[in-house]
Amino acid sequence: MVKLNKLPKIYLTTVFLILYAPIFYLIYYSFNSGGGMSNFESFTLEHYAAVFEDKRLIIILINTVVVALLSALISTAIGVLGALAITFTRNKSMRKAVLSLNNILIVSPDVIIGASFLILFTMIGIKLGFISVLISHIAFSIPIVVIMVLPKLQEMSPSLIDAAVDLGASKRDVLTRVIIPFIKPGIFAGFFLALTYSLDDFAVTFFVTGNGFSTLSVEIYSMARAGITLTINALSGLIFIITVALVIGYYAISRKTKSALVGVRK
Amino acid sequence: MKDIVRGAIIILFISGILLFINMKLNEGGGRGNKNTITVYNWGEYIDPDLLKQFEEESGIKVIYETFDSNEGMMGKIEQGGTSYDISMPSEYMIEMMREKDLLIPLDYSKIPNVRHIDPYFLDLPFDPDNKYSLPYFWGTLGIAFNPTLLEGQTFESWDNLWDPSLKQRVVLVDSARETIGMGLNSLHYSLNSTDLDELHEATNKLKKLKPNVKAIIGDEVTQLMVNGEASIALTWSGQAADMMYENEDIDYIVPEEGSNLWFDNMVIPRTASNIDGAHAFINFMLDPEVAAQNADYVGYSTPNLSALDFMDAEVIEDERFYPDEETRNHLEVYRNLGLEMLGHYNELFLEFKMDRK
Repeated sequence: MVKLNKLPKIYLTTVFLILYAPIFYLIYYSFNSGGGMSNFESFTLEHYAAVFEDKRLIIILINTVVVALLSALISTAIGVLGALAITFTRNKSMRKAVLSLNNILIVSPDVIIGASFLILFTMIGIKLGFISVLISHIAFSIPIVVIMVLPKLQEMSPSLIDAAVDLGASKRDVLTRVIIPFIKPGIFAGFFLALTYSLDDFAVTFFVTGNGFSTLSVEIYSMARAGITLTINALSGLIFIITVALVIGYYAISRKTKSALVGVRK
Repeated sequence: MKDIVRGAIIILFISGILLFINMKLNEGGGRGNKNTITVYNWGEYIDPDLLKQFEEESGIKVIYETFDSNEGMMGKIEQGGTSYDISMPSEYMIEMMREKDLLIPLDYSKIPNVRHIDPYFLDLPFDPDNKYSLPYFWGTLGIAFNPTLLEGQTFESWDNLWDPSLKQRVVLVDSARETIGMGLNSLHYSLNSTDLDELHEATNKLKKLKPNVKAIIGDEVTQLMVNGEASIALTWSGQAADMMYENEDIDYIVPEEGSNLWFDNMVIPRTASNIDGAHAFINFMLDPEVAAQNADYVGYSTPNLSALDFMDAEVIEDERFYPDEETRNHLEVYRNLGLEMLGHYNELFLEFKMDRK
């Protein structure tokens, strides 16, 4: 790693300060016993207690986490298969076409995806609720996973597979013992990115929630209309902590896989 | 490969546990129970204790969902796919939903508590004879100001905003009907004017206000006022109540020339699956004690006359939120003016926004 000299360091610190200041400001006031964010009266945990007392809010929080976990898991599975298919398709124009279709889904606006899902679900008669939210989250996460896994696959030298085949590996062995371990960092990156995408998506989710099923982003948007209350601060603080835990978890896993890659694999 | 599979199993396991906890929390009805109603309301717009009370009294389970804009709400109801039994749109939206045939007429034999509503709030042009809707909360449009930042200056009429001493101090709301309406009101014209000459006159008058305008923004104004970064704002009474709750210096008036009277109303959308339950809910919300408790919690003005007996004298005597007869007579409800006329309003508003002097 090239050592940073002073100027970029100062620049980086400033950028990080600016990015994190609003979050810490928000969390700071979540401990305020006064009603608003204008002056800090005294320390209290009552807003956190309010979050935990509100059964509806807890249900919504759990909904959000379950949808995020399941959609990230399923979309990672599908996305990895998609990336494999794109890499190993012989037909070049076909490969390009699939890749472009994938990229279009990434850049197309969420509102449009959401509205089209709403129309689709009501047309084919899927009731809006858990299933519809899960399906749409899986759908918009798949292209992200594909994009995260593809570079790893392209990085992989084809001679690795040739060598494995020469040594008598079956197709299955090549996949599970050579390819998957090699692209594992990409898979984890895709999974965690899909997780965060699902956690904070409002535009798509708004259209497809219904019948008593809602997620945090939708709930917070409607709460915020009546002014930001400190309960939202407390909730945001909790989510921030969960996110930090997720990132630490991600690093723990990816470091483990990296060191495992260096060693000999059976 | 092994650790990926293990990770996947752990995730599935965690999701399973969480789903189970959710089911436990949801207990006491659930979706299998037929006797449920789904209420679709604005965020933070009901006292949650009342939902529990309603469930206990009626045995009907309430599924509660929230929206953040009239338009978003209508979109979901129009598209179907959910069974909302109750919704709370604003008055102009009711006119649009009526035109699109999205509402079910109310059956008054099931809503005896309708007698508690102040007749002043019934039979209004957006829904004659209250065929489809009953008022939930109401309020006005007016001026919120902070006298400590204004050398003690106070306001009585819209014209006060044009005072040359207020350079760069007035915050307007980024909405055509409200802002053009203020211009119309200050000229003693109707808020629902479709006369292009009147509209142009109002816009020209607004342009003279430009030097006083600090910003034209949306909901952010509450925070600006509370923090003392803005001193005068055109705002709704509910928003003003929020500001006053957090900053005691702030005051609110409804200008004497007249202003807008707005409503949020309970309706039963076409998508309703439990129409009896919906009526029971409306009747419950109109119970004077319930309405009083709800108004205390939400902080908006209740149209329920009998509820006033259960409320703090200090609150209901506050003419800023429960204006007297005289002021009320100058208030006007928005009509749906049709797309073309709305286009004119938007165009003139844009013209006003772009005007620089």
